[in-house]
Amino acid sequence: MKNIFSILKYLRKLVLIPVILLILVISSCEDIIELQPYNNVSETIAFSTPSLIALSVTGMYEAAQIGYYRNPVDPAYRGYPFGAAFVEQGDCRGEDVVNMQAFYQYTYEGTYNLTTANNRVYWEDTYRLINRANIIIEGVTQAVADGIISDAQGNIYLGEARFFRAISHLELLFHFASPYKHTAGASHMGVPYREKAYTTNAAIEEGMSQHRNTVADCYSKILADLDFAEANLPVKSARSGNEKITRATKGAAIAYKTRVYQHMWDWAKVISEAGKFFAFSGNDAYTIEPDPNTPFANNYSNRESVFSIENSATNYPSVNGALAQMYKRRLLVCMSPIIWRNAGWLTDDKRRNSASGQLILNVSGRIHTNKYKDDVTSTDAAPVIRYAEVLLNLAEAYCRNAPPAGAPDANALNYLNMVRNRSLADMATQGYGAADFDDNVELLGAILLERRIEFAMEGRRWPDIHRLQFCPYYPINGIPQKLANTSVPASAFTLGSPYTGPYGVAAIPYSDYRFLWPIPQTELDINPTLVEEQNPGW
Amino acid sequence: MKRFLLFISLLLITASLVMAQTVQISGTVTGSEDGLAMPGVNVTVKGTTIGAITDADGKYTIIVPANAQSLLFSFVGFVTAEVPIEGKTRIDLVLQQDLFRVDEIVVVGYGTQKKREVTGSISAVKGDDLRSLAAGNFAASLAGRSTGVQITQQTGVLGEEARFRIRGVGSISSGTYPLIVLDGVPIATGDMGGQAAANSLGSINPSDIESMEILKDGSATAIYGSLAANGVILITTRRGSAGKMKVNYNSYYGVAQPIRLFDLLKADDFVMISNEKYTNRGYAPVAFNDGAAFPGQTFDTDWQMAVLRKNAFQMDHNLSLSGGTDINTYYFSLGYSSMEGVTRPNEMERFSVRANLEQKVRKWLTVGTNIGVSRTKYLGLNTGANSLSGNIFSAIRQLPNTPVYNPDHPTGYNIDDIVYPDPIGTGNPDWVGRWNNVASIGENIPNIRYVIDHNKFTSDVYRILGNAFAQVNILKTLNFKTQLGIDHTLTEGLYYYNPLHGDGRAANGRIYNDSDKTAIWNLQNILTYNQTFLNDHNVTLTLVNEFQFQRYNGFNAAGTDLSNVFFSKNVISGTYGTQISGGSMTERGWISYAGRFNYNFRGKYYLQGSLRYDGLSSLADKWGLFPGASVGWTVTQEPFMSSVTDILSDLKIRASYAKVGNSNIGNYPYLGLYGSAKYANYNGLGFSQLGNAELQWETSTKYDIGFDALFLEGKYKLTFDYFLNDQDGLILDAPLPPSLGIPRNVVSRNIGSMKNWGYEISGEAFIIRNNDLTWSVDANITFQKNEVTSLYQDKDMTYDWYINRVGESYNSIFGWEYAGVNAANGNTLYYKADGSIIQGNIANSAWRTYDPEDPANVSNPASAMVTADKRIIGPSIPTYFGGLNTKAQYKGLDLLVSTRFSGGNYIFNRTRVDLLGLNFTNNGAEILGRWQSPEEPGDGWTPKLWSGGTNFINQPEQGSTRWIEKGNFFKFSTVALGYTFPKEWMRKINVDNLRVYVQGQDMLMITKYTGIDPEMEITGRDFNGTPKQRVITFGINLSL
Repeated sequence: MKNIFSILKYLRKLVLIPVILLILVISSCEDIIELQPYNNVSETIAFSTPSLIALSVTGMYEAAQIGYYRNPVDPAYRGYPFGAAFVEQGDCRGEDVVNMQAFYQYTYEGTYNLTTANNRVYWEDTYRLINRANIIIEGVTQAVADGIISDAQGNIYLGEARFFRAISHLELLFHFASPYKHTAGASHMGVPYREKAYTTNAAIEEGMSQHRNTVADCYSKILADLDFAEANLPVKSARSGNEKITRATKGAAIAYKTRVYQHMWDWAKVISEAGKFFAFSGNDAYTIEPDPNTPFANNYSNRESVFSIENSATNYPSVNGALAQMYKRRLLVCMSPIIWRNAGWLTDDKRRNSASGQLILNVSGRIHTNKYKDDVTSTDAAPVIRYAEVLLNLAEAYCRNAPPAGAPDANALNYLNMVRNRSLADMATQGYGAADFDDNVELLGAILLERRIEFAMEGRRWPDIHRLQFCPYYPINGIPQKLANTSVPASAFTLGSPYTGPYGVAAIPYSDYRFLWPIPQTELDINPTLVEEQNPGW
Repeated sequence: MKRFLLFISLLLITASLVMAQTVQISGTVTGSEDGLAMPGVNVTVKGTTIGAITDADGKYTIIVPANAQSLLFSFVGFVTAEVPIEGKTRIDLVLQQDLFRVDEIVVVGYGTQKKREVTGSISAVKGDDLRSLAAGNFAASLAGRSTGVQITQQTGVLGEEARFRIRGVGSISSGTYPLIVLDGVPIATGDMGGQAAANSLGSINPSDIESMEILKDGSATAIYGSLAANGVILITTRRGSAGKMKVNYNSYYGVAQPIRLFDLLKADDFVMISNEKYTNRGYAPVAFNDGAAFPGQTFDTDWQMAVLRKNAFQMDHNLSLSGGTDINTYYFSLGYSSMEGVTRPNEMERFSVRANLEQKVRKWLTVGTNIGVSRTKYLGLNTGANSLSGNIFSAIRQLPNTPVYNPDHPTGYNIDDIVYPDPIGTGNPDWVGRWNNVASIGENIPNIRYVIDHNKFTSDVYRILGNAFAQVNILKTLNFKTQLGIDHTLTEGLYYYNPLHGDGRAANGRIYNDSDKTAIWNLQNILTYNQTFLNDHNVTLTLVNEFQFQRYNGFNAAGTDLSNVFFSKNVISGTYGTQISGGSMTERGWISYAGRFNYNFRGKYYLQGSLRYDGLSSLADKWGLFPGASVGWTVTQEPFMSSVTDILSDLKIRASYAKVGNSNIGNYPYLGLYGSAKYANYNGLGFSQLGNAELQWETSTKYDIGFDALFLEGKYKLTFDYFLNDQDGLILDAPLPPSLGIPRNVVSRNIGSMKNWGYEISGEAFIIRNNDLTWSVDANITFQKNEVTSLYQDKDMTYDWYINRVGESYNSIFGWEYAGVNAANGNTLYYKADGSIIQGNIANSAWRTYDPEDPANVSNPASAMVTADKRIIGPSIPTYFGGLNTKAQYKGLDLLVSTRFSGGNYIFNRTRVDLLGLNFTNNGAEILGRWQSPEEPGDGWTPKLWSGGTNFINQPEQGSTRWIEKGNFFKFSTVALGYTFPKEWMRKINVDNLRVYVQGQDMLMITKYTGIDPEMEITGRDFNGTPKQRVITFGINLSL
């Protein structure tokens, strides 16, 4: 009997076994290992609805605006390539600015190498943008085929993507490849022109076998992309608000083509492309704003800016990249006495105006730019291309097309004046007339100088140095000498005579390998094709 | 008893015990040390639960079955003795003290084992050894204590994590942090969020720790399967035991200071060096300490002391109550810790409460909870190695001939925006004031003291670590335990940048609040079967089913363009111009089934096998199987060894094998993803991760062979292990050509492999043991090597100063060979890969050929120094390390000296590069050895000074033998002297025990390394880290 009770007592405990089993069953729900992310969207649906596609297209602009500098896990937004970096690097590679602190020292003094950050990230983030563009091209093409979005909408998106693909490759050519005229027929090495989206492991191997396209090849692909963009992008009146300037338009594609042909020394094409601007009318027209400050004071609502990258108070290239931070608030880069004291820049030119809110910031006699004004919330746009450039490109084209020793070309003079006159204190006495120039070479000199003045601190100096290596009249040999950052007293900015030194940063001749940036080590490490195609000397 | 037998016979086939006849045995047990009778010794018949306990005179009587083979005598702290009965009726015994605690129970995965029976490699550390060490993170106190384990606290910032390396480095791209299990529950590791460093272990009160077991080899870790690749650390908190309530109070007060300071230039040398930088480049001098601009005002400021504290105050208080009865036990504790770090304004404050309770509800049912609640507050700072406001970055650059404060400035600090009587005039409010100098400080550095005093970085960590369990003894031999554990952490972070000066000026001030939540739950069901068959066959079977789920989510709110400095304590609605918010959430889950089988025959032959089947959410192919096995043989139990047991008292040989995994691979590494990509204010999406559906487990196959030996009655112990960890299928962030534009330029692939192998030797000796004096010494040393055995396409993964190359050690230090200074002109000289020497021509920042016959010739261009010119200098991981410790006790006095050493590794001393910067900033004294002229060539190592020439002359980011140094060191990590008051005195005031002590940590370091401390290296680079602390503490241990 006692034993039976014991057994019963034990059975009570055995009841626990089903309970235990129950716990096991309840908890063995597989859900906890079938997880999907909350922060990200799967690639499988990224192009599945019109609204997701629209987001991806905007995401391409993000790649243009802020870049990653380090990487997405630990990003440091610094505005690569078009949100700020093209301005800063483009300026600091030239002689018309002085790097005041250590910030741009590698770029400024030409001490960069295969691993220094600025040149490396320029390569990396620009190609990141190119891949985003190619992803749009493939995704949108498929979405149109699948009927998710209309042909018309699809073509606008494709136009935007091909616009970015073109201008990104052009930017890479400026820094990583020799100028167009380096060899006859531009048969020298350009950069790999990427036209395929890399989103799968399978595509990677194929991408690694691609060589550097020749410069000629790159330019023809750039033009093909821009032609497509021109044909399919809307005119600016089809866009609203800031997007007239900060999303790609037909005008932006045409303006870029004048720049591209200029670098190809194809002046007839510059003339024909720029001419298209005169066909824009009404709300689509571009115009030189009467006040040179307007494109900057109203950088999202003027009629001169053709294409700019937008920055906002919550989304900008950070205090370590934003233009107003670098050039204004933190005073890291100032204008160089070399250009400031250039005799061709009239002392009463409005672009020297340092009154509050105007273009110049005079800090105890040192001259900084005030083109980027919002140094608290950094919302200034990065001016990628302005109508003023289209006109100066046009002026230069007419001038170079005319007989060098001939009388100043009337068109060239006219388009130069369209840009220059608005800045003169007294247009009547100071404006250029035909009598002011002996010949077209002299006029060309005025046009080239005007570019340095008008686009001061807009990053345009490096592309000009790059192409002018082969100028028959005003050749630049390599990178001109500059002022060292450690010694720019305020007195160096006193007007009255051209700056003659001291310099401190020696010129780098064109033959020196430092004229070009090296393909970064990160690329060489893993890309066997490009290992063999490094820029010579590196 | 009958009931027991009934069930044994019912449920198990092995009905071995039949009580036909009985025999009575009696005897006396005495201790080996003093020969006195031992009360309370457990006497049991082996293989049964029949038992007796010795009385006050050490006498016992026990009635045993006639077929009983032997008696077991056990007592805490003594070696369990097994005595064959062989028909005897009187058995007297001298019990040997268990100096090395071989019979102690150690915690293993999902259970416990006798240390003697462990066939894996486990290092155990007692909580008592950690309790009195002042440290923001108790893990750091493990350094030097056990073989194979290298734990390094890399900086002196309270709250920063320590680096764990258990038998080398387990992964290249994935996590290398071990699994930390607290009272059976895996807990969150890493930084807990917020805006000041707040490491996970900092919220655990070290005084609550009873023991820590570090599982090193495959056999010990195999039961943790996919979590175990980097080793496992099991932490067990204290619990009560039956008896009267024990009250313990422990406390210390300490003073900390930086372990070393930089030897910076004094004002006069600074003026000389700075002006030489300028005049060498053809400029006028800029540095003055003549009081010209500010008559009579000259300074010689050591800016390090504006940042660091000489007397950081630290204190710690702990009160615990513990006790219990036969049916319940309790442990309650209260802890309070308040510490100042060696760098201003770093502070840590912790409040903690713990309650560990256990209740026997029925004879067969026990329930309990272990709950710890803590709040840990950290006050941090910007320690960015390359940040203008980084504490050390800035302190070593500040101009020594300028003051920290300026009473005439509205802020009271020396800031540059006053009008100076020099040609530059008004300065820039971004910068520290220049004072008598005629140039502003280089690199636009702010007044670091202003920044430190005004900017705030805080983390406030609330954490609940707890579990509740029920344990059912279904049968005497079959036990079921179910346990639900949680680790919930809520961290509130704040940073505030003052708008007037420093980082906040750019955006007119910035404030940022965040809330980070970590929620982990863990459910375990453990079935344990433990039986001895036929007296000699001991079997334990453990079956585990476990579910784990982790969710991390957080959100933040921030503002820039602040309305007023007043609103600096929290984000306050409507007080800032630009409003920013954000957030994110990720999850990870595991489902696991595991089993372990242990078998031993007469405690002589051991066998263990385990198998774990893990499902992990982070992989497309979710399930993986992880086996492990080990064997052990106690050689000294063999009859043929009996002749040597006088000398070799105990020898156990072990061998193990296991394949474990690394699930520290991120949450969604296999998916192709698009993430938010906002353009200005327009929402966007962008490709953010290249997927790889084929991603598999990263596995580590671990082999270990070793022995444990005791000599001369167990007074000496020697342990030896050889280990080999083969890491395979490493999930490598396989680099991709950036020109493809793939996010991060990487894809996760199982393509790398690596091995770690080495020897671990440790010895312990009780040299003197008598009533008045005891003295013991222990030493351990580990020799280890690492080799990368395959990489993506076997291509080098190069970085500026380290490289991963097949056939070389992980993250090998990598750099150019520096050839010193060209005595003719002060240029730097380097070896190209082809063996030729080229010079870096300072005057035009260009590479030129070097002809020893014509050293001054700088006219011939040379190709640039590039990555291909670098060679591997040596490993970044130490190849040997260990510790040497000694403890002595004389009457009431006790002395502990512990040391540790490490070496064989190389360090890129990046801080040294900064100390030789050529902008208008201060320098280290090394710069005095610069080349001045062919007649005064200096130390032959330091080139000519050239204002602004840092990048070309120093090549700061590039590894080079100019900066790479050996990392060998020897340190006295702890020296402690204590005094325990005589028991007789204490008894009179009702005190059980009272000990007072004084202790010094990190008092002395011997090294040729020229930086602050070779342990401050991160990935082989020492870069502007905050000096570690040296602490002297005074403490008491009181128990009532």
